[in-house]
Amino acid sequence: MNKKDRVSSTLELRGVSRNFGPVTALDGLDLVVAPGELVALLGPSGCGKTTALRIVAGLEVATSGELFVNGERYNEVAANARDMGMVFQSYSLFPNLNVSENIEYGLRARKIGSAQRAKRVAEMLELVALESKAKSFPHQLSGGQQQRVALARALAIEPRVLLLDEPLSALDAQVRSQIRDEIRRIQLELGITTLFVTHDQEEALTISDRVGVMSNGRLEQIDIPDVLYNNPVSTFVANFVGTMNHIPTIASGDTVDIFGKKIRVKNSKGVNGSVSALVRPESIEVTRTSGSGNAKIITRSFLGASSQIICQTAEGAVIQALMPSHESGDLHPGEDVTLNVTLNEVLVSHV
Amino acid sequence: MGAVEAQSRVRSSSRSSGVLPLLPFFAFTGFFLLWPVVAVTLKSLKGKNNEWTLDNFRPIIHSGPYFHSFIVSIKLAIITASIGSVVGAFFAFVIVTYVGGRLKNVLDSISAVFANSGGVPLAFMFIAAFGSNGLATKFIRFLGYDIYAGHFTIFSFTGVVLVYTFFQAPLMILVFQPAISGMRKEWREASTNLGASALTYWRRVGIPILLPPFIGAFFLLFAGGFSAYATARALTSGTVSIVPIVIGALVDGNTQASQANLGASLAVGMIVVALVIMIGYVWAQKSTAKWRQT
Amino acid sequence: MASNLRNSSLQKWSIIIFASLLGFTLFILPVIASSIYSFQKPGGKGYSFISYTWLLHQAGFFPSVGTSLKLAVLAGILNISLMVPTMVYLNFTGQKLKPLVDFICILPLVIPVVSLAIGAQNAMPSFLQNTQYELVFFFVIIGLPFTYRTLDTALQAISLKTLVEASRSLGASWIRTIIRVIVPAIRGGITGALFLTFALSIGEYTITSLLHWETFPTWTVVASQQNILGAIALSVFSFVSAIALLATVALFSKKGARQVGVDQ
Ligand SMILES: Nc1ncnc2c1ncn2[C@@H]1O[C@H](COP(=O)(O)OP(=O)(O)OP(=O)(O)O)[C@@H](O)[C@H]1O
Ligand SMILES: [Mg+2]
Repeated sequence: MNKKDRVSSTLELRGVSRNFGPVTALDGLDLVVAPGELVALLGPSGCGKTTALRIVAGLEVATSGELFVNGERYNEVAANARDMGMVFQSYSLFPNLNVSENIEYGLRARKIGSAQRAKRVAEMLELVALESKAKSFPHQLSGGQQQRVALARALAIEPRVLLLDEPLSALDAQVRSQIRDEIRRIQLELGITTLFVTHDQEEALTISDRVGVMSNGRLEQIDIPDVLYNNPVSTFVANFVGTMNHIPTIASGDTVDIFGKKIRVKNSKGVNGSVSALVRPESIEVTRTSGSGNAKIITRSFLGASSQIICQTAEGAVIQALMPSHESGDLHPGEDVTLNVTLNEVLVSHV
Repeated sequence: MGAVEAQSRVRSSSRSSGVLPLLPFFAFTGFFLLWPVVAVTLKSLKGKNNEWTLDNFRPIIHSGPYFHSFIVSIKLAIITASIGSVVGAFFAFVIVTYVGGRLKNVLDSISAVFANSGGVPLAFMFIAAFGSNGLATKFIRFLGYDIYAGHFTIFSFTGVVLVYTFFQAPLMILVFQPAISGMRKEWREASTNLGASALTYWRRVGIPILLPPFIGAFFLLFAGGFSAYATARALTSGTVSIVPIVIGALVDGNTQASQANLGASLAVGMIVVALVIMIGYVWAQKSTAKWRQT
Repeated sequence: MASNLRNSSLQKWSIIIFASLLGFTLFILPVIASSIYSFQKPGGKGYSFISYTWLLHQAGFFPSVGTSLKLAVLAGILNISLMVPTMVYLNFTGQKLKPLVDFICILPLVIPVVSLAIGAQNAMPSFLQNTQYELVFFFVIIGLPFTYRTLDTALQAISLKTLVEASRSLGASWIRTIIRVIVPAIRGGITGALFLTFALSIGEYTITSLLHWETFPTWTVVASQQNILGAIALSVFSFVSAIALLATVALFSKKGARQVGVDQ
């Protein structure tokens, strides 16, 4: 399969909802995935990510709403006629079939001749670099290898859309990042439209073209990783993506006071009273003071190019800052420092 | 100091891992399990005057009744194991798929009681239920079907089949359930997702995975049905001539030495059948399950 | 798509209803029918406890029940005294002989009990043949397959190695380690093994009758020739009480605690 062979598909969900009895797993989900794009759905456990993916695959039925592939309504298409390649979290390989037979499974179901099947299996094995394991059974493979076979099996049928449901969550950290990169490489190489479900924000941010943050069965925000990180539309997104300080403060009108500086409030204008200001560690500047500052250093951890500094304010709030290591080399635990916020606008949440 | 010493003691003891602690087990099973089997084999090879001979086995092959009793026993075992395994597998499937929580616990326990019920009480219960004046018989007659219209009686071969099913199927439920709960939902879904029909899934994945445990369970049921004695004895007072009943009659009370020897040879014949089954079982497991762990 | 849903739930309910009907006819109907039957007066007019009280007046009833209870308790105790140390040792050391023990413990399921009984008639020394306690040993043998599985499962569920090493490194002897540390940890398995052996022994008929001893089951068969209704009452009573007991235990035991988890 090559980029040229097949025009990539558009995937569209319009107002898709799903109820399980009293539980609303999806609540009017709208989503468009452009041809060849990789969109990650990110969200806390139970927010409906898996449900969304399964509805796309046809393994679950939407209570209401519509699903389109290339503009064609797909709600009524049977699951085994959808041509969607799905990779499950784990344990999805057929244990009684070896690697080749697993990859071949979908091709057989399509009545493809044996010569062509063999050729395709060889291609897929090469794609995931498992040529040497062709005759192994699933239980003889490591977790990472198993997921690569699952990926090869899903891709072998040249699916219109690739669906991945936390395919890396059962793997340990090192293998996880390696296979994550491999998935992205293959996805770009084939130009296949992909929906990737995860609750690991780092995974979502590194691998995707766009990330959709879900909460309670809806999309809170969907955008490229940079915007999501720097310009979250809500406190939910801000908290979920990246690390966030919650600095207790008082809001009056549309400003808050952070470390003695008045900063405009981006959300909930006109709020008064106690709030938490949401500030990323890299937006906090720590400087040594000769006299008494507004905080004390608790620890400094060297992380390479940058260092993490944890301080405690006079009011008792613990603040995390991230600074270039060369600018923070002279900060030591126990010292009095001054904290500053390098922002013009800030999100606040009620406490 | 003491701890270090003890540590090394532990290590050395686990390294040596001798056979000595297993001696009681081997002595016990050797004397009460293997020695009786050897003894009955030796006995079956002894003639009237204590000489070595194969004569005792002659009636099994040549004489109608004894040969026939093996046929009846094997037939009974095959029929009840077949019915039991199919019915039991169906119930195991339903329980695993649709039943959860406490109800499942209760059903499992009831199955355990039923599976181990193959004894004297079962025979009398079935006489009460399915005898010609039994209440189940009357109930079914009331529904419009007379089970006694044909040749059926609870004291016949068919009756024994009915009673055996009562404990064979629950045994199957117990034995086969783990295999069914081991079937992952992901396999079915992956198959659908890859474009396969339900039929294809069962042909290529479902049945190949379930077949080895099914065959294993079938052999277990066969062995149980083949050697069961109590229920048939209490139910038919010995009129259905399965091998255990024939043996029981031969060695009962004041028997002559020749009869005792014949009984021993029939007992050895049963062991041989059981071993053949066991070997078939091992072979079937090996050849059907090359993909399995360990 | 809505029809999809309806179809699958229709299919689900028809399977459940079919299973319930089949289960009722095969398993529940005989139990109910025989229970009612056991209360019928001889001759079939009206109901009473007469078949149950008849039993109590039979000379052999209490002695045979007593013998059965005594032998079953002894078999249970002997079984776990033999098997607990054996299984602990096997699981702890990863002994190469485990497959052999496994094989031996399967044998009682394979070797027909009748054959074992005939063998016993010939193999046992006469001092054993002369006492009913010889049955205890064979009850233990018959219980082996079940005890082996139960104890093995229980032992694999605990971190045996850590427990033993911790106890031994504190200076405890092997026997002390088993009694004070391991036995409490696999209490459930031991209770299960005891219970199974006890239940099997109480109901054992084949060996008992072929070795000509009188226990509760053999007495029942003899008594049935005098009064079949009495035998039926006895059978119903022992069967129904076994079910009631186990079902109650299951109902109040922790949900799914006995499941051998393959999922997750
Ligand atoms: N088959 C079902 N029956 C009943 N409730 C369900 C079913 N499937 C999902 N739910 C419920 O729907 C909600 C969304 O579930 P879903 O599996 O989509 O979450 P998720 O975002 O994938 O979570 P996770 O990160 O834990 O996998 C949850 O509250 C879940 O309990
Ligand atoms: Mg999920």
